Amino acid sequence: MFSRRAVLAAAAASSLSARAFGDASRFIPAVARHAGRWDARASGLRRLAWELQRRTSVEVVLEARPLALDSPRLFEHPFLYLSSDGPMPPLAPAEVENLRRYLTFGGFVFADANDGSDGAGFDGSLRRELAKVLPRAPLAALPTTHVIFKSFFLLDSAPGRFLNRPTLEACVLNKRAAVVYSQNDVLGALNRDEGGAWEFEPSPGGTRQRELATRLAINLAMYALCLDYKDDAVHLETIMKRRR
Amino acid sequence: MEPHDSWQLVSLSSLPLAALVTLVVLVLLGVVMACCGVRREASWRRRALMWTLRGLAGVCALFFLLEPGLRRLQVMRVKNRVAVLVDRSASMNFPVEPKGLSRNDAVADALTRLAPDFQALSSRYAFEVLGFEPELGAVTPEQLKASPPRAGRSDLFAALRAVKAGDSGGVRKLAGVLVLSDGADNVDLAGGLGERPRALLQQLGVPVSTVAVGKSGLTDLSIDAVKVDDFAFVRNSISAEVEVHGRGFKDQAVQVVLKREGTVVATRVVTFTSQDETQTVKYTFTPDQTGRFVYTVSAPVYPEEVVAENNTRSFALKVIRDRVRVLLVAGRPTWDERFLRGVLRQDANVELISFYILRNGTDESGVPPGQEPRELSLIPFPRDEIFHEKVDTFDVIIVLNFGHEDASISLARYRRDMERYVEQGGAFAYLGGDRSFGDAQSSALNPFENVLPVSPAGPADVSPFVAKLTEAGARHPLTALAQGSVSSEAAWAALPAIPGLNLVRARADASVLLAHPTLQVDGKPAPLLAVAEQGRGRVMAIASDATWYWAFPSHAAGAPTRNFERFWNNAIRWLVRDPDLTTLSVTADPSSVEPGRPVGVVVVARESDYTPAPGAQVVVELLDADDGRLVAQETRETGADGTLRLEFPPPAPGAYKLRAVASKDGRPLGEGTDAVAVRSVGPELADARVNAALLAELAKVTGGAAFDSLSFSLADVPLKEPPLVEVGRSRDEALWDRWYWLVVLISVLGLEWAVRRRFGYV
Repeated sequence: MFSRRAVLAAAAASSLSARAFGDASRFIPAVARHAGRWDARASGLRRLAWELQRRTSVEVVLEARPLALDSPRLFEHPFLYLSSDGPMPPLAPAEVENLRRYLTFGGFVFADANDGSDGAGFDGSLRRELAKVLPRAPLAALPTTHVIFKSFFLLDSAPGRFLNRPTLEACVLNKRAAVVYSQNDVLGALNRDEGGAWEFEPSPGGTRQRELATRLAINLAMYALCLDYKDDAVHLETIMKRRR
Repeated sequence: MEPHDSWQLVSLSSLPLAALVTLVVLVLLGVVMACCGVRREASWRRRALMWTLRGLAGVCALFFLLEPGLRRLQVMRVKNRVAVLVDRSASMNFPVEPKGLSRNDAVADALTRLAPDFQALSSRYAFEVLGFEPELGAVTPEQLKASPPRAGRSDLFAALRAVKAGDSGGVRKLAGVLVLSDGADNVDLAGGLGERPRALLQQLGVPVSTVAVGKSGLTDLSIDAVKVDDFAFVRNSISAEVEVHGRGFKDQAVQVVLKREGTVVATRVVTFTSQDETQTVKYTFTPDQTGRFVYTVSAPVYPEEVVAENNTRSFALKVIRDRVRVLLVAGRPTWDERFLRGVLRQDANVELISFYILRNGTDESGVPPGQEPRELSLIPFPRDEIFHEKVDTFDVIIVLNFGHEDASISLARYRRDMERYVEQGGAFAYLGGDRSFGDAQSSALNPFENVLPVSPAGPADVSPFVAKLTEAGARHPLTALAQGSVSSEAAWAALPAIPGLNLVRARADASVLLAHPTLQVDGKPAPLLAVAEQGRGRVMAIASDATWYWAFPSHAAGAPTRNFERFWNNAIRWLVRDPDLTTLSVTADPSSVEPGRPVGVVVVARESDYTPAPGAQVVVELLDADDGRLVAQETRETGADGTLRLEFPPPAPGAYKLRAVASKDGRPLGEGTDAVAVRSVGPELADARVNAALLAELAKVTGGAAFDSLSFSLADVPLKEPPLVEVGRSRDEALWDRWYWLVVLISVLGLEWAVRRRFGYV
């Protein structure tokens, strides 16, 4: 029997042994470093990469890369996790400019309210900053028919640690969801404490809700990697039948 | 003109007309009243005698009242003209009957025979013998025999209108037209006498008589028409309808073959059910290559046929693309796949079909067994369908880092399909990551080794590097990121470093366009991007799956670039042989040439940066498309705009390829090809039939006579009578002022008086 730690360690080791120039094509979770509590879901991000490796054909690097929002290295990581447990201080103009360019030219940001806030906390600060970064692409609710809800798993809601909102919001650029935002602390459901236990119990759905949050996180990573692939005509008929 | 005497009976009375009328009425009343006066007479003999005498008396009275006389006239009869129209179209060279006299010679003989008849009627008609081509020109029987007819079309209607036009304003009016023709009209009356021609013919106002020259029992097989669009879309089926006309082939099966430049495309068998019948044969075929091609429809030539040349008909077909159909297959989701998809999805000229392996056999989805179809959006990978059944429907296949050993998704069994696809004109691009070249060098993992321009040469090198444009890459349109090789080189140098590459060696016939700046394989820079021609297809390989670094990280510096988009746009266009991506274009102008006409060619030469290349040396060859034999060759220089126009002398009928090779100052500028069809016969010689029905209808509409042979009599040809014209002064001679008329009048009146008295009425 392998413990969870052993599995994670083995996976991490295998990713290191497979390291080649191909790492550049692997899924490396990047996390935005800012003046707020940006690193509250480090283990959740690692868990996401691990689940991606385990459940899909995506090759990953488990360790998340913390990156400043004004760093040019941001452009080597098309998937960026932006979160905070509590308010996020205002971004510097250089950060706003760099983030705007990042999103405009193909970057994907998964914004996650670790505090489950609504109006205040991270929610308020994210909305404020996104209004500066993408003034012409405001956050709007994503319908559950969006490809994110079928990019790998078939989902009809967007649960996380919480179920404050049943669905996601997104800033859409040129038909592409460049920023996807959840107020439900998706990665909070995947986070573990230093002892290796689940840090939070998803509410109100418990274990089933944790599984759905994991699936949602995988779907978000898949969307970042494949865009609207599952909206191609070859998939639609099959998916429609399964949804009935 | 010849004078004629003529006379008219006229009234010479000087009384006005009204007075004359009044007097006539009074005389008639007198007669009637007299008759009424004796109506009670019992004896009918007496009554009849008195009526007769009173009537005679009335006539005599009228005679003297009207004063009749003879008006003598001096007149002339105007000699009218008769147009004898002789068909001078090339079909008149056909024989009247198998192995007989030509239609033209038969007409010449007939005109010689008719000459005395023309002379006999010369006092009334001037016979003008005119050949129509369709322009009218006087001909004699001798000229007819000396100069065979050559006109490329038969236009009866135009000839008749020209004859009528010559009638306006002249003294000699047209009295009739005699047409000597085979009736094989191929212009206005080709489809019969329609309403409009019928109305216009009636307006001619003269009888048009016709003589059908030739007999209808000829044996001939002809490809009358080919109905097909001027262009087709590659890998889409197109239909061509071919009209095959058989005369004298009742119950015979004839094989009709469609070929593309010597290669048989399809064969159909036609069986004629009557002696004169047109059958339509439909060919449906699928062009598998873009460009212009000459197709030829042919039927066998039988010894008894009148015309052999009309058994073949060629047409040029331009095959173009609709949208480039690209198949993208990714071994797993990667950033290379993501950014390549982004580029291809944005290109309106690309129809993208994608298949990504989202889960391997060893992956655990976390979904309970049995629930996967309901909870996963995955579909089976339709390998057979895309790599075997429908592989030919794709213009480009891009495979990205695919090297699965899992039997359920392995592509190893499609090795032959891929080779065939490329050999027959398909385009293949391979982007290699760790599943491709580095760790996947066995053929089990990589079934594409025979369609790759490179082969594995060692483990991957993981040091980042900036790709370097090779000498070939500086000239190649695929790697042209900017105008001119210097700018293009600078653009490549400015792109971000990519994090490593698989070591590969280029095939001997491949061109390496991008290479590692320092790393070497076999003493040459390690290839990153290599391309090659293979069969009729093109192949390309990139020894890394990190080209997305040219897309997203290139924006880190701030200045937006579109080099990644430009690179892939170039790559797709080069792979599918986009005509605009060639430095030398050759175009046949026109693409179908009538027999005896020169073949026109337009060549446009460009430099490697696509600017015009003036003064370039261009060698243009005209090659037989069936066997590649050189027919003609010209070497010329392009003009200031890089364009060259030239003509080859008329070649023999058939399918030809045009090939041009250009160079300037010793530098090759490329080569290009096109195709041209030289028709074996024009519309005139394609049809050997005698259209007696058209000639008969034409005669009927205009009031003329139709004759079915040249042995007709001129007396049977209806002609309008020439009119008489008064040309001198008239002379009146009185008839009434003779003494004997007076004696008659007095005698009748006296006798009537005596009779009436005798019977007791006076």
